Amino acid sequence: MDGEEETYGGCEEHALTSGTMKVMLSGPGQLAENETNEVNFREIPSHMLLKVCMYFTYKVCYTKSSMEIPQFPTTPKITLKLLMPGNFLDC
Amino acid sequence: MASFPPRVNEKEIVRSRTIGELLAPAAPFDKKCGRENWTVAFAPDGSYFAWSQGHRTVKLVPWSQCLKNFLLHGTKNVANSNSLRLSRQNSDGQKNNPCEHTIDCGDIVWSLAFGSSVPEKQSRCVNIEWHRFRFGQDQLLLATGLSNGRIKIWDVYTGKLLLNLVDHTEVIRDLTFAPDGSLILVSASRDKTLRVWDLKDDGNMMKILRGHQNWVYSCAFSPDSSMLCSVGASKAVFLWNMDKYTMIRKLEGHHHDVVACDFSPDGALLATASYDTRVYIWDPHSGGILMEFGHLFPPPTPIFAGGANDRWVRSVSFSHDGLHIASLADDKMVRFWRIDEDCPVQVAPLSNGLCCAFSTDGSVLAAGTHDGSVYFWATPRQVASLQHLCRMSIRRVMPTQEVQKLPIPSKVLEFLLYRI
Repeated sequence: MDGEEETYGGCEEHALTSGTMKVMLSGPGQLAENETNEVNFREIPSHMLLKVCMYFTYKVCYTKSSMEIPQFPTTPKITLKLLMPGNFLDC
Repeated sequence: MASFPPRVNEKEIVRSRTIGELLAPAAPFDKKCGRENWTVAFAPDGSYFAWSQGHRTVKLVPWSQCLKNFLLHGTKNVANSNSLRLSRQNSDGQKNNPCEHTIDCGDIVWSLAFGSSVPEKQSRCVNIEWHRFRFGQDQLLLATGLSNGRIKIWDVYTGKLLLNLVDHTEVIRDLTFAPDGSLILVSASRDKTLRVWDLKDDGNMMKILRGHQNWVYSCAFSPDSSMLCSVGASKAVFLWNMDKYTMIRKLEGHHHDVVACDFSPDGALLATASYDTRVYIWDPHSGGILMEFGHLFPPPTPIFAGGANDRWVRSVSFSHDGLHIASLADDKMVRFWRIDEDCPVQVAPLSNGLCCAFSTDGSVLAAGTHDGSVYFWATPRQVASLQHLCRMSIRRVMPTQEVQKLPIPSKVLEFLLYRI
C-alpha cells in the first residue's frame, strides 16, 4: 500500500525479494504487518511501487528458470526515481 | 606463489560448466607459419562466431548452429569434420541462411573484429550517410588485422573480400568498430599509432592517433562511441575523445605492459589487464581506480610486477549484465569475477589461453589458446538487483561529473559511482 491508497497484491515469495520487506514480515513481535500480511509504504508513489512489484515477478521468474534473462523494461526517466525505493527496499 | 588470497580455499570456488570446444585441424604439411590464436569474436547480433585458427586462416561459423552441435554431439568438436553438418556452402550466403566460411587471409592474423551497420542496442544513433561505397541493407563485416600491417575487410554472409586497408607499417594488434553502426574502424598497431578508418567512405583513413611511445596492444570503444581507450607497452592506458580525436587523459597505475581493455555496457567502468598480474577497474570519466583484481598472492612488489613474473594477465572482458568480468592469466585459469567482490566467483582450467570474449547474449565465454583451439564455458548467471538495473540505465546516459551533481543521499551517490 502506498500514500495514494492503492493496494498491490502479490505472493509472499515475491515480497521476500526485498531485504527490507523480509525483515518486516518475519521479525519477532506484534507487528501489524505480520497479522494482516500487508505492508504500508506511504512515501513511495504508486507507479513506483507497481514497478517494484513488476521487478519482484521478474526476479522470481528468472531465478527459477534456466532461460535466457531478458532485459527488465525501464527508461532513464523512471530509473532515477526508482533508485530510492530500490535502495530502501534493498532489492 | 598462490593464485588466490590466503583467506580463500581454492577447492571451494565453483568450477564453470563447459559448453564445448572447437579444436584446430591438424596442420597441413605445406603450411609453415604459427598456430597462434590471438583473437576470437562474436558478431554484434549474435549470428556468427569467428576465430583465427592459425596458418593464416580465419573460420566463421554461424553461432546458433555451433551451439546446437555442442548439445547434440557432446562437448568435443573438431572443426571441418563431417559431423559438423552446417547449411550447404554457397557463395550467395544470405542473412537468413548463414553459412560457414574459412577465409585465407594471406598472412598471419593477429586481430579480428565484427562491424555492423545496425547500431547496437542502446547505442548512440547517428545519422548515417552512405557514400560512394554502397553496402546492402544490414551489412555485417569482418575486419582482420595482419602481420604485415594490412587490414582486410570481408563480407560475413558471402565470405568475399571487400576492402584492403594499407597504411600501418607493423602488426595490427587490435581492431574495434564503433558500436553505433557508423562502420568507423579503429586499428591499433605495433607502429605506436592508432588509425581511424571510415568504411562507408571506401575505407578512407580519417585520422592518426599519436601518443603511444611503444607498441599499442589493444583498443576499445565506449558503448556510446564517444570515447576510445587504447592500451600498450610501457604501462600506457590512454583515453581519447572520438568526436574531436584528442587525448582526454592518461590513466596511471599499472606497473607493466597493459594488454587488454574493455568498457562496461553502461560505459561507467573500464577494465584493463596487464602483465603486472592485475586487472584494474577504472572510472573513465574521472580517471580513478575503483577495484583491483589480483592473480598472484602475495601481491608482487613493483619491480617483480614489472618483469617476468609468470602470471601475466592476457585478456579481460566485461559481461553484458555489467556485473561480471572474465580474465585469462598465465596460471592456466579463467576467472569470473563480480565487480563488487575481490575474489573470483567461478574458475575454469585453461592452458595457454590468449584471448576471451563473451557471446552477444552474455551466456557463453569463448577463450582462444596458443594452438588455435577455442573453448566455451557457461557464464555465471544471475538476475541483477533492481538497484543495479537502475544504475546501468542511468549511467548509460550520465557521466560521473553529472552524477555527482544529483540531489541524492550520499550512500546512493556512492552506489551510482560504483564506489561501493
